[in-house]
Amino acid sequence: MRANPVRHRWQRHAVGYAFAGPALLILAAFLLYPIGYSLWLSLHEWDGYTPRWGPFVGIENYRALAADEVFWRAMLNSIIFVVVRTPLEVGLGFLLALLLNRRLVARSLLRTLFFVPVVMSLIVVTIIFQRVYEPNTGLLNTVLNAVGLGAWAHPWLGDPATALPAVIAVSVWKNVGFSLVILLAGLQGLPQDVLEAARVDGANAWHLTLKVITPLMRPILALTALLSIIGGLKVFDLVFIMTRGGPTYSTEVLATMLYREAFELNHMGVASAIGVILVAVVLSIARVQTFVLRESREGEAA
Amino acid sequence: MSNARGRREAHGEMGRRMSRRRLLELGLLSAAAPSVLLRPRHAAAQIGGAQPTAPTPAGELKNPVEFKAPKVKASSPTTISFWQYVGFHVDVQKFIAEEYKRRFDPNLSLEITAYPGLNEQRVGVKSALAAQSPTPDIIAVEPGAYAVDVSASGSVLDFTKVFAEDPDYKKGFWPNALELLTINGSIVSVPAVTNTVIVYYNRALFRQHGLEVPNTLDELKKVGATLNAKGVMPIAYPAGQDRNFPIFPYYTYVGGIKADKLMREADLGLKPWTSPELVAGAEFVEMMAKSGLYAKGPLGVKEPDAIQIFATGRSAMFWGGQWMRRSIRAALPPGFDMGLFPFPAVVAGGHKPVLSSVGITLTVNARSKHPDLAFEMIKAITGAWGKIEYTRNLGLSPNGPISAEAIAYQMQSLKDPLYPEFLKLQPTGTTRVIFTPVVEEAMTQGMQALITGQKTPKAVMESVEAASQKAGARKFKVG
Repeated sequence: MRANPVRHRWQRHAVGYAFAGPALLILAAFLLYPIGYSLWLSLHEWDGYTPRWGPFVGIENYRALAADEVFWRAMLNSIIFVVVRTPLEVGLGFLLALLLNRRLVARSLLRTLFFVPVVMSLIVVTIIFQRVYEPNTGLLNTVLNAVGLGAWAHPWLGDPATALPAVIAVSVWKNVGFSLVILLAGLQGLPQDVLEAARVDGANAWHLTLKVITPLMRPILALTALLSIIGGLKVFDLVFIMTRGGPTYSTEVLATMLYREAFELNHMGVASAIGVILVAVVLSIARVQTFVLRESREGEAA
Repeated sequence: MSNARGRREAHGEMGRRMSRRRLLELGLLSAAAPSVLLRPRHAAAQIGGAQPTAPTPAGELKNPVEFKAPKVKASSPTTISFWQYVGFHVDVQKFIAEEYKRRFDPNLSLEITAYPGLNEQRVGVKSALAAQSPTPDIIAVEPGAYAVDVSASGSVLDFTKVFAEDPDYKKGFWPNALELLTINGSIVSVPAVTNTVIVYYNRALFRQHGLEVPNTLDELKKVGATLNAKGVMPIAYPAGQDRNFPIFPYYTYVGGIKADKLMREADLGLKPWTSPELVAGAEFVEMMAKSGLYAKGPLGVKEPDAIQIFATGRSAMFWGGQWMRRSIRAALPPGFDMGLFPFPAVVAGGHKPVLSSVGITLTVNARSKHPDLAFEMIKAITGAWGKIEYTRNLGLSPNGPISAEAIAYQMQSLKDPLYPEFLKLQPTGTTRVIFTPVVEEAMTQGMQALITGQKTPKAVMESVEAASQKAGARKFKVG
């Protein structure tokens, strides 16, 4: 008697499903259901006070967003945030990781110091940097004045031209240690025989880094970049505490706009539409990144 | 409250320590006060009214008002929840609730959750109301859009029944304060306090540079020019504190030309924001930003920064609220000679505008399981006895008239020479409340654009008007 192949496959995977089941249930309850619910809400009008959503409006909330210049401003700011932050965070993290991968005095101490901002409370960090950026008594302007660069002193968070770069700088400072730790772990896991072979072949430090280490590190660099991109796209707390999206929407990002629409303007439908768009963007980027990564791996394997 | 017992003991001593003559003087003053105080004021937006001048306190005084017993009591141990957003109010709210429990209702406890800020509390409240939660029983709401939101959605109970059963309780509030909280004909919330926005100044710096308190805008500009020439920043203005602060100069001007009623009508979509008076308000904001009167980059300055600038003598003035008085005093070095004055007249011959509002206001969740007990607790906190204790602890202005005797009692422990000055300024106040959320947002952004020089006053008011029109016909009436 031949065994039923479907039943056989099910039996083979049953243990796996049993182990993954609770996690999948939690994922469904706290991730998939809210995403679906947001999608549903984005097609309705709702002020968020009544227990049930309001009338069905179809894609009207999306249409309203498309016509709203603040939305496009927030989208652009989110993109700028990611495009500026990610290379800085990953690039600096990689440079620091390369440095700390060498036999340095106080290497552990330096590694810890670079990681300290990561574990610091974001609220504390933002309050510190609000003080640093304060235009009249802040540390940054005080130092600039002291070294004869008073002309550069500026109301960093109060000027629409500098507010976003100032916030991005804090984000990089806070997160570079995270990239550093991941990349350092990657560097320490590289095959030593390959590096040794390159050295024997006469590769200097520059060539070794550029032609051997960097290609070997590509998957980890891609992972770090992906995490940074996703973190940058959904940034909220840092911006909200430091500038609340201002002045004049110069630091408004998608997440702060979502909050404003939901809780200050009572447009829960519009806010949900922003949430759906944000999820779609993040998932698309993650998908593209995964695809690129796989292609690159397969290329290397070939 | 840590010194609650001490105060209770002090109350008991009071009668023995005061002379009969002193009591008679205080009694006469307090008896005379209501005729002045309860005169109705119909100027649309002003908050508050005149308080009597208190005699210098002598001996140990006590709260001269009886703490009235509630009409309803808990039949079994009951805890009612209260979600608010001003941490520094918690101690006095707890003190009143504990007194209430000790004196009248041992079964009733008040559990206060103080959120770190209005935004956080509003999010929590919104989630609770949407979930039809009976918690919190008591909700602190801000006048304006927040009060409209909770009342228009039917999420809170109004005070009609409470006031009908206890007319004296209603008389205890400034009529204009209640008018601000009257949405669609019902009073939806009651204020715990009232407050003002004024200019604090460093008297020693003024003396040092031979300056007088300015009475007009031109005088203020001259004071600013002198201070700038001496390397002292004129005004620390924390426009970066929240979304309301950038609008303060606008409110000030509008109040200064008595166009606050017009502003209210524009807020409610009944008049355009582009009228010459309201555009002039935006021009004033722009002028102030360019005048050199503010410390650099006001939109990048938060409240603690501004207080520090002022406390360290880097600025001679600080434009801020009465509610900041404690933080300011805590930051000042010993011997700092601080005074306050209302913002100078913004037009020739005009009055000095003092921004005024009710601060935190209290209402009851429509789904509360103990609405009667919640109302009783609110009455304890905001009623005749409670308001004296409340403002005595915080140095904020009361939510209604109080007697000279009560002020004397407050002064005894408050020991703040500025408190009577705040009380004097209160009745000249002009409102700083906007009811339509999208209009408030457009105003905040517009004022920021003026301060940073990104838009013209006319363009800003056109964008506010566009937001107002987009909001359509309002589904609520105020007052």
